[in-house]
Formats: sequence, C-alpha cells, structure tokens
Amino acid sequence: MEFNIINPVSVKELLGAVKKEKHFRFGAGCTDLLMELRKKPDEGLTVINLAQVKDNSFTGIKKSAKGIRMGAMFTAHQIVMNEELKKTFPVLHDSAHNLASTQIRQVATVGGNLCTASPSGDIACALVALRADCELLNTTQKTRTVNISTFFTGVRQTALKPNEVLYGISIPANHKNTKNNYSGFIKVGTRRSMECSVVSLAYHIQVNVEGKILKAGVAIGASAPTVRLAESACDFLIGKTFKNITQKEKEEFADKVLSYASPITDIRATAWYRKEVLYNISKSIFE
Amino acid sequence: MMHEITFFLNEKEVTCKVKPATVLLDLIRDGFELKGTKPGCHEGECGACTVLVNDAPVNSCLFLAVNANGKRITTIEGLTNKDGSLHAVQEVLVESGAVQCGFCTSGMAMSIKAMLHQYESGHHVPGESLKNLPDREEIKKYLEGNLCRCTGYVKIIDAAEKLFAKEV
Repeated sequence: MEFNIINPVSVKELLGAVKKEKHFRFGAGCTDLLMELRKKPDEGLTVINLAQVKDNSFTGIKKSAKGIRMGAMFTAHQIVMNEELKKTFPVLHDSAHNLASTQIRQVATVGGNLCTASPSGDIACALVALRADCELLNTTQKTRTVNISTFFTGVRQTALKPNEVLYGISIPANHKNTKNNYSGFIKVGTRRSMECSVVSLAYHIQVNVEGKILKAGVAIGASAPTVRLAESACDFLIGKTFKNITQKEKEEFADKVLSYASPITDIRATAWYRKEVLYNISKSIFE
Repeated sequence: MMHEITFFLNEKEVTCKVKPATVLLDLIRDGFELKGTKPGCHEGECGACTVLVNDAPVNSCLFLAVNANGKRITTIEGLTNKDGSLHAVQEVLVESGAVQCGFCTSGMAMSIKAMLHQYESGHHVPGESLKNLPDREEIKKYLEGNLCRCTGYVKIIDAAEKLFAKEV
C-alpha cells in the first residue's frame, strides 16, 4: 500500500489542499480507507489527512435552540459518551454504540460514516431518521446545506463536489411538546460485534404527553443502494397514538417501510431474507 | 516523501521518519523493535495489535503512523511497572489463568487497561454511570474488538471482573 499524504492543521490549509490536489481521497479515521487501499491500491493517490485539523466546528459538538451540530470529525466514541445525545436522540447513541468495536469507535468519525456512503452505514441510518442536514464547505469558504436524504446519491456516492468537504452535521431539535419519545436502532447481523448490518432500521418517533405522534423519522439500512427515509411510513404515523396502534396498522406501516427496500442478494443474506426481516422488525418497534 | 514525527512511546519522547502509508503497528514492531504488539488480521477485526493512543485503545494496524505525532502511545512493553514488576492488569490475567496461546493477550491487556482508565477517570457510557463497577456484560461489550482464537474468553472476563473489584 502506497500513497502520498498531506496533513493540514487548519481549515485554511485543508481547503488549500483540496484546491491543489487532483487525485485525492479524504482520510478521517481511516478505518475503511486503509482496508480499501490495501485490497485495491490506487496509484498516484494523495490522502488528505483530516485527523490533524484543529478547528472546533470540525471536531466538536454544539447545542443551540435549533438543535445539535456535530463537526464531521466527531467520533463514534464521542457520540456514545455524550449524555445529551443519548437523552435527546437515543437512535443516534444506539447506532454509534453498535458500530464495529471499541477500538474502531475511538477513531471512526461521523463524517467518515457518511462520506463512505455505504448502504449499511449505521450512523448514517440514524441521521437519516433524524432528518439531519449536512454542511458542505467549498474551497472558496462558502457553505451549502443539503438534507441527508439527498446527500446519498448511490452506492458509495454522495452529493459532495470535488471542491467540497463535509464540515458538519446538524440534527434538528425535537418538537417542543414531545416527551418520552420512541427512538432506537435495530441492527440485524450474524453476530453482535464487528458486524456489517444485514438489515437495519432506525426510528425516531416523537410523541406528546398523551402519546400522540407529532413527528416521525424511519430509515432503512442495507436494504437499498443508499440508506433511505421511509417517508410515507413516517407520514402514516402522524396523529396516531403510539400505544394504540392496531395490528392492522402495524402491518400497513411495515408494508410502507418495505416499499422503500430494493435489497440485493450477497454473501451476507438473500434479498428475500432481507425483506422478511425488514418487515418483521418494522412491526416490532411498536411492541 | 518521508514525514518526521515526534511522539511519546511508553513515556519516552522519540523522533523518527515515516512513509505516508506506514501504520503504527509496523512502526512499533519494525521501527522500534517492540514485538509485544501482535499483528493479527490487519483489518481491525481481531484487536491483537491494540495499543493506547492518549489512553484510548486503537487498532494500530489501521492507525496511520503520521497521526501518532504529538501523541502518547502505550504498548504492552509500557504497561509494566517502572520497577519491572507486572502491572495489575497483567498480574490478574496470570492469576486467573487467562492466557492460553498468548497471541491475543497483549491486545486484551491493553483493552482492559483502557477500560480501567476510563472507569478510574469517571467516564462511563451514559446510563451505565450509576453503577460503581462494570458488570460482565459491560466488560464483554468493551472487549468486543478483541478476539481469542483459543476461545478463552471466560477466564479473560473473570480476570477483568476481578481487577475492577480490586482497583475501581
């Protein structure tokens, strides 16, 4: 494995490197990148190493009235250890806590999980359910915001342009009248650790004090070319009372979730199996 | 192009030159001749190469050597007490008979040390913080990135449990 490397220490240097280099890849935690380059060497590649950039907006977390913003270099471990995130967005905590292993979580970043754009990205799936926004910074220091569901354009493809870097991710605050939300991440695999999801489901369902659903986000992973928001399934839930959802409504909801799936058969599971599991776990969130 | 880096390796400041694609595992073993850190899968799956970077456990096979610059790196050789005696983590592994072929042991020891550090410094996964001691499930969860092909997990987890009862 060989490549050149640039180690910017500021955002200015980072953007300078992006402007100058023609054939480059970003390296954040590098846990995916190094494995990929070992298997498939890429001649003449320059890695723009993001790990040494000192910039709070790129590495830290900030809460505001609008919600919570994480820098792209915020790690899975930092998500797991953050009390506020666990309390406000349990789905995000769960997805990060079940990602790979303790060692990988120390270095793997939220930005890396998004930019790898794997259909089975765990944190990605949670952030789609949370309807997060991606903040992209270009070489002229201008930012544009794209919603996460339009950020993924295909298998390992994103809306990121060659002159842009993913700078931060913003999660909108929960509806102010909500309490005890139903929020979680279901990951199905053949073992508990170090597992790439066979199917995953992220849900963040916000209910008021009476248990009436005010807002819902449901996303599916490893079931389509990208992580997808099951929009019609989310809409279906609005106005219903979470605890009173009938068996028929559960089935209708699961059917709607399934309509977003177009899984493939691969080494981990068949398409048929993935659909069956997705249908069943969709129903299970009400139980 | 070679990159010059300076870091603390087992509390000693060192400076060296590394290639862009060199990983920390190779630098430790080949550059500094510290063979206690084991190369296993080279994919971040097995955890045999676990070392501590600023007290956090990482797979040194997936950690770029250039990113060690300015950091504190601890390997199994640095775990041993200054007087040469075994660290409490090592001692408890020996006492518990938690070593079979030994290949995973240094990685296991580093992960247990990292967990000990996390608890001693008062950092817990939220929700688990009410307990004083990590239970078996929490130990298993923490050690999920360390494989033992002899499947000697029971004694390893016993050892960690004993250690926490004593130290935390």
